[in-house]
Amino acid sequence: MSQALIELTDLGFAWPGHPPLLDIPTLRLEAGESLFLKGPSGSGKTTLLGLLGGVQKADRGSIRLLGQDLGELSQSARDRFRVDHTGYIFQQFNLLPFLSVIENVELPCRFSRARAQRAVQRHGSVAEAATLLLAHLGLKDPDLLVRRADSLSIGQQQRVAAARALIGQPELVIADEPTSALDADTREAFIRLLFAECRDAGSSLLFVSHDQSLAPLFDRQLSLAELNRAARSASVTEA
Amino acid sequence: MYLLRLALASLANRRFTAFLTAFAIALSVCLLLAVERVRTEARASFASTISGTDLIVGARSGSVNLLLYSVFRIGNATNNIRWDSFEHYANDRRVKWAIPISLGDSHRGYRVMGTTEAYFEHYQYGRKQNLELGQGRAFASDPFEVVLGAEVAEALHYKLGDKLVLAHGVAAISLVKHDDKPFTVVGVLKRTGTPVDRTLHISLGGMEAIHIDWHNGVPARGDGRISADQARNMDLTPKAITAFMLGLNNKVATFALQREINEFRGEPLLAILPGVALQELWSLMGTAEQALFVVSLFVVLTGLIGMLTAILTSLNERRREMAILRSVGARPWHVGGLLVLEAFALAVAGIAAGLGLLYAGIAVAQGYVQANYGLYLPLALPSSHEWTLLAIILGAAVLMGSIPAWRAYRQSLADGLSIHL
Repeated sequence: MSQALIELTDLGFAWPGHPPLLDIPTLRLEAGESLFLKGPSGSGKTTLLGLLGGVQKADRGSIRLLGQDLGELSQSARDRFRVDHTGYIFQQFNLLPFLSVIENVELPCRFSRARAQRAVQRHGSVAEAATLLLAHLGLKDPDLLVRRADSLSIGQQQRVAAARALIGQPELVIADEPTSALDADTREAFIRLLFAECRDAGSSLLFVSHDQSLAPLFDRQLSLAELNRAARSASVTEA
Repeated sequence: MYLLRLALASLANRRFTAFLTAFAIALSVCLLLAVERVRTEARASFASTISGTDLIVGARSGSVNLLLYSVFRIGNATNNIRWDSFEHYANDRRVKWAIPISLGDSHRGYRVMGTTEAYFEHYQYGRKQNLELGQGRAFASDPFEVVLGAEVAEALHYKLGDKLVLAHGVAAISLVKHDDKPFTVVGVLKRTGTPVDRTLHISLGGMEAIHIDWHNGVPARGDGRISADQARNMDLTPKAITAFMLGLNNKVATFALQREINEFRGEPLLAILPGVALQELWSLMGTAEQALFVVSLFVVLTGLIGMLTAILTSLNERRREMAILRSVGARPWHVGGLLVLEAFALAVAGIAAGLGLLYAGIAVAQGYVQANYGLYLPLALPSSHEWTLLAIILGAAVLMGSIPAWRAYRQSLADGLSIHL
């Protein structure tokens, strides 16, 4: 069996003073795979993404990203590891409003040398990589690239966020409800673009959403509620 | 470097608050530097009220008292000194020049000083500047001629040829006037920014003439009166003067001569070194000057606290900004550093604008201040002392910036990447 991109074993987590929130026996994401993780709000999905990003530390079990156990790294090493290997897209307001579109896309390369190097290797320069990615995502107008990020429509902003997540070819792209602010027509188009670019960059995609209608587009789908024993036992107790 | 770019862009996004914050710092910095500059210049100009004079001699009293009445025209001498004492020292071989001073009368609140031509020739102020006549000439042989200080002429609208009457005593309103012997304005001195501007200068002979028929402090009545014309033909050599100033051929002799004068057997005299007495006097006034400095320091502190408040209140609405930065790879110390840089940028902008305001203010007010207060405010680059103050302000700003930086650091550790606010 090839090495998984994400390998999560017997993960347990609770916020201090609260009942256990996450209790996941196993979760794998293969390299190059796109996974739809269905999770309604309150199911602990934000916490799970925080754990995968190394912002929080698991109480129990292990999270391996590219074979590296995050629990073994220090806080700052986890931070560096995250930005070197993971791109993020959130629900909305992903961008720094006071920077230009292109500056927003270049941001990860400012903080991660690894991603800057990869962008330069592949496209010659960080700016070139950003311009190309934006063009692929349908933002071709050169005037648009130097505009303030908050002057764009929500749909355009999400595409800028996608370009930013993908720059420097991180191995993993985590998308947390990136389409919830988009209307139904643009939603699917956005995901198809995202797929194409992830494939192009060789990135795996972990897509978290409560919108079941998007699930068939993905290689595989999982439900966090079924995966998470803490949620099941909680619902049993409530019943 | 990129962090600074981010900090500046973020500040530009909040330009109105940022502008006000920097402006508050600018005003406080401008005030501090202005106070500093006026303080320094006031001290310098105070010290240069009199220069070139090696010794001031009067009746024995306190050195500050002697300085006050002889140079600043404040207060009165307790005793006069005899004319022959003056002559004794004026003719000493170590003495280059001597200026006798006779005080005690006034004109509409301004002091009258009896002296000789030596005064116009040798009295110096500032950086060894001599007195200069703006109009007319110095008083000559006629005893009833007066040379006005610049402020007297301007305030009382006197011009050459005008006649004026001196009052006996130095009270603002004097009941006894020397109205039988009016004086003619023959000259007006240029402005010096020293007490000379507020003085009417007459000859010692004139001073003697207006008191020639006075006995025991009251004028003679009836036949005892002596007219101005009669007085002109009398011997007007004074019997006593108030004080005198000495310039020596060789400065080395100053201390020896001072000791000699202080031990003079003829009558009790006191000789002072003007510089030393000025220092003594300034130290008396130093408290007020220091209070001013402390107040302006507190104003700067207020400006910086304003900055601290502005940054702290912005923190909450900027949690999303911080979370976005974290999600693109900024580590918590980057977030903290961003806020320190923000404080730094605001302080630098404030200090630069404060300096700008200061120089604009000096450029505008320079002439007015010089003319009215005799203070020359130079349009010079900041002194090393001023640079030190500015560096301290900048350091304090960065130190204050580390408070929101620490909070943002903690906050971004806790918030992580979640921006679901």
